[in-house]
Amino acid sequence: MTPTSEITATFKILLIGDSNVGKSSIIRRFTDDKFLSPEETNATIGVDFKVTMYDVDDKRYKLAIWDTAGQERFRTLTSSYYRGAQGVILAYDVSSRETFENLENWIEEVNTYCPSDDVVKMIVGNKIDKETEERVPRKEGFEYARKHQTLFLECSAKTKVGVQQAVEELVNKIIDTPSLWRKSSPTKGTVSVDESVTSGLGSGCAC
Amino acid sequence: MSDGYLPYAADAEQSLSADELLVLQRQYERELPQARIQTKFNYAWGLIKSPNKREQRLGVSLMHDIYNEKAERKRECLYYLAIGYYKMGEYSNARVHIEQLLALEPNNAQARSLRELIDEKVARDGMIGLAVSGGAVALLGIVAAAIFKKRSN
Repeated sequence: MTPTSEITATFKILLIGDSNVGKSSIIRRFTDDKFLSPEETNATIGVDFKVTMYDVDDKRYKLAIWDTAGQERFRTLTSSYYRGAQGVILAYDVSSRETFENLENWIEEVNTYCPSDDVVKMIVGNKIDKETEERVPRKEGFEYARKHQTLFLECSAKTKVGVQQAVEELVNKIIDTPSLWRKSSPTKGTVSVDESVTSGLGSGCAC
Repeated sequence: MSDGYLPYAADAEQSLSADELLVLQRQYERELPQARIQTKFNYAWGLIKSPNKREQRLGVSLMHDIYNEKAERKRECLYYLAIGYYKMGEYSNARVHIEQLLALEPNNAQARSLRELIDEKVARDGMIGLAVSGGAVALLGIVAAAIFKKRSN
């Protein structure tokens, strides 16, 4: 494939979930193919931002991934980050049932700020490399996702398993839902980071 | 896949709507004179994100209060103080605060990204300063030459 520098569209993807489930690590694995040990990482302050390119079918898409802090103290601030998002990843830690049960709160938040059914949602169970007896069974995660009509995948940012697939599946679904992005994104030409970030101001999600 | 790393601070670029900021302001004012730290923090954060200098300044001042009051809020206060000063164009103050955060968390990618943004601005301003002073020197030369010419006439 020979990707051109022309960008077909820019997608805003939001990553949410409890603190310490590995949101930043998932992004880091996807964008830089790196994994940092827990001692090397710091809890995200407010929101962090990564931009990367995604090439598929001879087309280039720009992904603006918003990595939000999971800590309670930043929770009341997250609503503004939902603006203009086409995709939301809800992450939990398969070795911590609490983070799985808290998905209920996160789903509620997404449905409040992204009321449209069009916005692509995906539940991702991270840390499948961890040996633990209390692991949330894959089937349970899958059933939960089905109940809430979201995509579902398990992954490990540490071993790399599933990370690429998770993001690709989400982005492909966005591409297959042109109503999400055709109206606001130019089909040709480049979109600068600043534009992509501010284009959704004033509205909710891209819906 | 990756196109590398771009320095960026989402909280510096994106402002809240007037309505959203008003909600945070009302919550804060309702709790005065003993506003909760979280309420105060939310309002300070909203103010710092504002494009308005006066609001940024108020946000920075509230964030300084929180920094002094709550030790466990230190890292986020330092981060948002750096953003606040960065947005106000006070780059040396921004640098001081981001360096303090980096002293605590040398591997913090978010903090490094913000420092890079600050450094870019400092470098650009330095170039402008250089161009201005360079221009002034040139102008001085012309004036001196003109005076010299006049005298020699």
